[in-house]
Amino acid sequence: MKGLTRKMPIVDEIRDKLEQAFAPQRLEVVNESHRHRGHSGDDGSGETHFHVTIRAEAFSALGRVARERAVHTALGRDLVGRIHALGLKIEGAQDGAPRDPA
Amino acid sequence: MADAQEQIRQTVTDNDVVLFMKGTKSMPQCGFSSRVAGVLNFMGVEYADINVLADEDIRQGIKDYSDWPTIPQLYVKGEFVGGCDIITEMTLSGELDQLLDQKGVRYDKAAADKIRDANA
Repeated sequence: MKGLTRKMPIVDEIRDKLEQAFAPQRLEVVNESHRHRGHSGDDGSGETHFHVTIRAEAFSALGRVARERAVHTALGRDLVGRIHALGLKIEGAQDGAPRDPA
Repeated sequence: MADAQEQIRQTVTDNDVVLFMKGTKSMPQCGFSSRVAGVLNFMGVEYADINVLADEDIRQGIKDYSDWPTIPQLYVKGEFVGGCDIITEMTLSGELDQLLDQKGVRYDKAAADKIRDANA
């Protein structure tokens, strides 16, 4: 049973919560912490900086601020409080094809 | 706590554009704050920079004020516009120009176009 009590990686925690909340058409959760080693916010855990790309119908009717708020709410105060940085790219189902990344 | 809320309200009321950030506009201390300050600096927007690292009450207070868990936070004419991702996207899409036009805030349109050209 030991394996079951092991702490879930934060990447999986984020993915699970967003899957449940939005049933997204597209979801990518990337741990970018290694790119920020030694920067402010790096606590040595290797789980400080994340980037999420999500596309879901639920965002279609929402403005930019409301979209991010919806994601923050789905993740919950505790999880958001535990991570240092969360980059978000949020698309509604009707949004045009994403631009090339800057 | 109430004091911090009142102080924040006063600051975003008294200044057309306010950026709550980690560090200052000339010496940002976080990559996300640095990105937004860099955009505003380059676009020649006049704004007040509030360093949340200098005041723990403001650092927590601004998150409560906007119900937004992260910093930086940009306010235009008292209204919360967004954090780093939103400001970046709005800059590249031209929505930030539109917002500043609407609110009567001066900025260098050619510089904004230059940012978009460089990221096209």
